[in-house]
Amino acid sequence: MRQSASSNGHRHSGPPLIKADGIWKIFGRNADKVVGTPDADLPRSELRAKTGCVAAVRDVSFDVYPGEVFVVMGLSGSGKSTLVRTLIRLIEPTAGRIELDGRDVTAASHDELLQLRRHTSSMVFQHFGLLAHRTVLDNVAFGLEVQGVSKAQRHARAGEVLKLVGLEDAASQFPSELSGGMQQRVGLARAFAVDPKVLLYDEPFSALDPLIRRDMQDEVIRLQEETGKTTVFITHDLPEALRLGDRIAIMRDGRIVQLGTPEELVGSPADEYVENFVRDIPRSHVLTLRWIMREARAGEEDGPRLDVATTVRNAVPVIASSERPCCAVDDGRIVGVVDKDAVLTAIAGEE
Amino acid sequence: MAASSIAARPGIVLEHRPWWRSRMTIVAAIVGAMVICHLTLSRTLSWPDSLVWHSLTHYLDNIQNWLAAESAKTDPNFAYRLIHWISSGLDALVRWLYHLLSSWLTWPGTTLLGGLLAWRFGGRRAAVIMVGSFASFAALGLWDDSMQTLALMLVAVALSLLVGVPLGIVAGRSDRFNGLITPVLDAMQIVPAFAYLMPVVIFFSVGPAAAVITTMVYSVPPAVRITALGIRSVPANTVEAALALGSTKRQLLWKVQLPLARRLLLLSVNQTILFALSMVVIAGLINTEGGLGAPVTNGLNSDPALAILAGVAIVVMAIALDRVTEAIAERTDTAKRHLDVAGRKRARLATGAVFLSIAVAAILGHLLSAGSAYTRWTAQDWLRTQVQNALDYVQKPTTFLFKDITNPVGNFLVAHMLQPLDTFLVETPWFITLAGLAAIAFVLSGLRPATTTILMFALIGAIGEWQDAMDTFSQVLVATAIAVAIGIVLGVLAAEIPWVSRAIRPVNDVLQTLPQLVYVIPFVYIFPISYVPGLIASVLYAFPVVVRLVERGVRDVAPETVEAAGAFGATRLQTLVKVKIPLARDAIMLGINQGIIMVLAVVVIAGLVGSGALGYAVAAGLQRGQFGIGVVASIAILAMGIALDRVTRGNRSAAKGGRS
Repeated sequence: MRQSASSNGHRHSGPPLIKADGIWKIFGRNADKVVGTPDADLPRSELRAKTGCVAAVRDVSFDVYPGEVFVVMGLSGSGKSTLVRTLIRLIEPTAGRIELDGRDVTAASHDELLQLRRHTSSMVFQHFGLLAHRTVLDNVAFGLEVQGVSKAQRHARAGEVLKLVGLEDAASQFPSELSGGMQQRVGLARAFAVDPKVLLYDEPFSALDPLIRRDMQDEVIRLQEETGKTTVFITHDLPEALRLGDRIAIMRDGRIVQLGTPEELVGSPADEYVENFVRDIPRSHVLTLRWIMREARAGEEDGPRLDVATTVRNAVPVIASSERPCCAVDDGRIVGVVDKDAVLTAIAGEE
Repeated sequence: MAASSIAARPGIVLEHRPWWRSRMTIVAAIVGAMVICHLTLSRTLSWPDSLVWHSLTHYLDNIQNWLAAESAKTDPNFAYRLIHWISSGLDALVRWLYHLLSSWLTWPGTTLLGGLLAWRFGGRRAAVIMVGSFASFAALGLWDDSMQTLALMLVAVALSLLVGVPLGIVAGRSDRFNGLITPVLDAMQIVPAFAYLMPVVIFFSVGPAAAVITTMVYSVPPAVRITALGIRSVPANTVEAALALGSTKRQLLWKVQLPLARRLLLLSVNQTILFALSMVVIAGLINTEGGLGAPVTNGLNSDPALAILAGVAIVVMAIALDRVTEAIAERTDTAKRHLDVAGRKRARLATGAVFLSIAVAAILGHLLSAGSAYTRWTAQDWLRTQVQNALDYVQKPTTFLFKDITNPVGNFLVAHMLQPLDTFLVETPWFITLAGLAAIAFVLSGLRPATTTILMFALIGAIGEWQDAMDTFSQVLVATAIAVAIGIVLGVLAAEIPWVSRAIRPVNDVLQTLPQLVYVIPFVYIFPISYVPGLIASVLYAFPVVVRLVERGVRDVAPETVEAAGAFGATRLQTLVKVKIPLARDAIMLGINQGIIMVLAVVVIAGLVGSGALGYAVAAGLQRGQFGIGVVASIAILAMGIALDRVTRGNRSAAKGGRS
């Protein structure tokens, strides 16, 4: 399901679940007086020198559709963690409008906001944020506990979710007794326990070792396939972003510099900044036939058939062993052809 | 040439300060100028009488008279009734607890209460310490006094926590409130207890209530500070996670912040107890209903051996409560001690058994008429004889100790340090002293501390305490110089050499646990020379803090920096002098700041035992019921404390409070 969403990039089922429109976050005194003035467009250091304010997020807009994994990628200080916090107002946005599941978050009252955080969204944190004084089971049940769910019910639910992340044996242990990877599994379980519509991940795996990080990414992909949650995922790791994201927004200095599918980022970087980022990514691992195919000419329909969402890398053996150009197929219909030249060009990185 | 081209490049400012512009040189120059003025003017010009506000004492006495008049009325006004209500409530509370510990539980019940509670929550070692402390109260023959003190302390500690913990929670959650309350807490801890003794007595008269209030002034700040620190030390992402799941503020407090701050909350209990106990002797001055403070203060002149025994009992109590609460904090830490359901059940059963056996012991105590206080066999008489013999020995003019050590040392301190400094400060024309002090404050810390210094010392002059204040000031300076010198040397050594650190730590712990006045007692006899006991006692009280802060400062220097210095071939000494000590400067300054405040506290207390000056005026005011005189001296102490604190606080924006 993830695969198909990314393959056609913009096939969305229904209206967006998250709508962010012109979000600003400026830290400092009189921050609200900066937005809308020419000062707001100053580079960060100049803004700081002039007003003493720091602009963390600047005029960011995006939509996330149901079931989609939306990744926000940027280096530290790019404003990505601030951005995800403004979505549920853990940090108040200075300006802009946020809609979650059809409700206006920015205008929500205190109680509405609590209900939203309890039932609509869940968040997974970089340093886990587990409660050291509670067992794993009670940690996972915490979200239900603040909702006021009875002990028996929430423990039953927490037990189910622990099974889902493969930690059913650790239920009575304490967080300090678990490895980092297992602690973050508890963090995942806690987020899933309340069965939210939206999952927010704030650099969940950057504190973990590379091998464990890969395991956890697989875990997220698996959970995503099983549950189909709408996800906003923050990371500073481009391979992680490309692995997980249906669409990726790259942030720099508080702004989105490019928003697109992994293919679009790697295939046509918007500027030098993005290009520097994606330079070391093997293009053949990301680009699919859709990206390199051309119009089919008459008489080319009898070549070997491959799904249009096949990555170049996976298509290479088929195309290399075939005399004829390969046909890209979407829903049984031929949408284009790919020949050896196209593959070689894509791999070489020349347009 | 290369250097000049670097300096010429815009944007790089090479700060070059010739030796004659370094701070220390300027301070020395100011002092030199003051000395020259002192010598050349060759006439005494103390604070002029025409600038003294004489009627202040009179006004203050009027407050006392007003209160006395109100108490005589059948229908006193609201303020008086409120004060009276608090005072009698506190009195009743302390008396009730004392009865519980003595006549209700009887002494076997009380011993078991302490021992078993320590065992249940703190483990076997805590129980042994607790029972051992009760045994020493019995052996010292001071059971009843100890229970009085214990009751007073428990009430003071409970109320301090009742006030301090909620304030600390608010301060931990609100930056604005924290900013408001911090200077108040600073003030409460800077003011020497002696300074607020008088006002407290006036409003609450002598008795347990006054003692509780006096103690609380000192023991509330650590409760607030450590609680706030505990709330603030809960990891931000844990708080965020709880909020993201939709916790309300209250759920956040009860389910996340308080449980996770638990360790520090229990530490705040421990520190509050220690701070409260350090006031026990001073509280004894104004509590007429017994307790360990009374034998100490009364005995200083009439029965020194008993005073020393009571001092020992206080020390034992302080150490026992410190270790036991620490053990309880460690053992019951839920984040570390993971109990399963069966374990929790066992623990509940054990708690039940503990209370049951205490009840049984109390009943048995009544049946066997064990009595409310342990009075049978005690070692008191024997101990008193021994202590008296020792005292006689140290004071005999012919012994080696007296003739060759204490007497010469004491005389040297007085003749060559205290008296010249005192004479210099008192006899130099007052405006030169004032200008000199302000100039030094300016050089060391800047304009605002200098202004504070002028205002505070002018206030001291205006209320007619100039001469006494200079006397106290000279003692503070000498004692601080000694304490800081010892503290820095030992602190650096401890940071560099592990075994020094290991050797110093227990000594430090004990010295820090002792109540202020307990320090003074032995030296009254060992150095029976005017100011010297107070001086030595204040040095002993203050130097452990300097050691600790300096050690921590030197040790906390980033290891990468030290490694880098080593990589460039610096010797150990070079690394120390050129890298570690300069980088530890803030910690060392904080050590001086804390040290000077602690020295001031003890120097004024030593007024009780002949150090004279401001402390004596307060003591005299207390003993003779002369409110005005006592309060005026208290104001002078307060003013001096504020000035010294501001100046030594230096350029640092905010000193880390708390002497713990």
